[in-house]
Amino acid sequence: MNLPLPSIILLLFFPGGLFLIASGLVYQWADRKLVARFQNRIGPRWFQPLADVFKLLAKEEIVPTGAIKGLFHGLPIVALASALTAALYVPLAGFNASYSFQGDLIVVFYLLSVLTICIGLAGANNISRFSIIGATRTLTQIFSYEAPFLLALLGPAIAAGSWSISKINIYAQENVWLILAQPIGFVVALIGLMGKLELPPFDAPEAETEIVAGALTEYSGRGLALFRIGKDVELVIGLTLISALYLGGLANPLDFLWKTVVLLLVTAGLQALFARLRIDQTVGMWWRVGALLGLLQLLAIILGRLIGPLF
Amino acid sequence: MDMAVKTPSSPMQKVMDGLRAWARINSPWVIHYNSGSCNGCDIEILATLTPRYDLERFGVKLQGSPRHADVLIATGPVTRQSRERLLRIYEQMPDPKFVVAVGSCGLSGGVFHGCYNIVGSIDEVLPVSAYIPGCPPRPEAIIQGVVALLQSLKPQ
Repeated sequence: MNLPLPSIILLLFFPGGLFLIASGLVYQWADRKLVARFQNRIGPRWFQPLADVFKLLAKEEIVPTGAIKGLFHGLPIVALASALTAALYVPLAGFNASYSFQGDLIVVFYLLSVLTICIGLAGANNISRFSIIGATRTLTQIFSYEAPFLLALLGPAIAAGSWSISKINIYAQENVWLILAQPIGFVVALIGLMGKLELPPFDAPEAETEIVAGALTEYSGRGLALFRIGKDVELVIGLTLISALYLGGLANPLDFLWKTVVLLLVTAGLQALFARLRIDQTVGMWWRVGALLGLLQLLAIILGRLIGPLF
Repeated sequence: MDMAVKTPSSPMQKVMDGLRAWARINSPWVIHYNSGSCNGCDIEILATLTPRYDLERFGVKLQGSPRHADVLIATGPVTRQSRERLLRIYEQMPDPKFVVAVGSCGLSGGVFHGCYNIVGSIDEVLPVSAYIPGCPPRPEAIIQGVVALLQSLKPQ
């Protein structure tokens, strides 16, 4: 479906801006509620993320000594803005992407990474030891999952013969679901998304039992609220991206809803199942297993494309 | 408490104040500090945070960083050694912030009252918003104390 809307509405209300933030909060609630139910708890109420955000926005923001003031205030804004921008190129809510060009898959990939890099920089901007350790871990983790995650997103692009998410989405709708054709790629992409969002078991960068709250230890009030919204937005975009690429594309809003919710169910289950990995275990797993699996998938696709026409 | 609104009340202001109070009541993030307790109250606080009582249904989350916290749950009498640390943690918390004193020792010094190494109760060091008596208080009592604190934040 196409959206006949002026670009200012596309940017500020739907599918960017307000709609994206609202759906981010809803998905955060769903994620927390699911994990709580898996742990035999009742879980938060439906408005919990909204109350958290309002409270944080109304709180005092302390700029610690030693931090560069401009960076301290600017980084959360850049992080949220890049996450919101990425939404314009994915088929959010089942509608066609607002904008698309050859190569927007890579652009979205990098826009999603900007958030993580901003969190790392925000941690390194402080002189608090917990922030710095958190920043080191955040940046270590980005170097470990990024390559396998990109390899996993490459698979559908090669299959569709296009670098544009919209074209891959259309290809995925017309052909057999890519989760069947490229199961390894799907697994690597889903776990890569969890690494990207620092969800358990990949939450070593913000491990509260070891390093207080990681890179965001010194943030209070607005900065923390913006980073949290940014992460929620990234969760929605990541789920949209993977379901568009691997789960047969997103043709309409209903399609979007059930595919992303199923993916969320799987990620929440994995979060509840596994305990936190140490940062060296995370890096080791991604480079020894993740990257190899990604390469194997890539090799299989290339061989398939070479051998396929012979039959 | 400095929660009272002193600005002139326009309708917009009223809505914003209501929203702020609603968010504050529904999302209290807590941090826990033991300033010299025997650990009994701390065990009860940890029991309060377990899945059995599941405080996340009220929006309560245990935070590691004082910068993220709204409510400081302090236990035990304040020893001379930990007075500075307690004050420092309190000062690191962003406004608006509240202190809940848990346990008899936090209220009065308890069995340690008059000890040579004790400053005294928690309210001799920090402004305390809610007192929860008991040695140690049951998890239900802690929940009731925090809920009473949150109810007092409602605009009259």
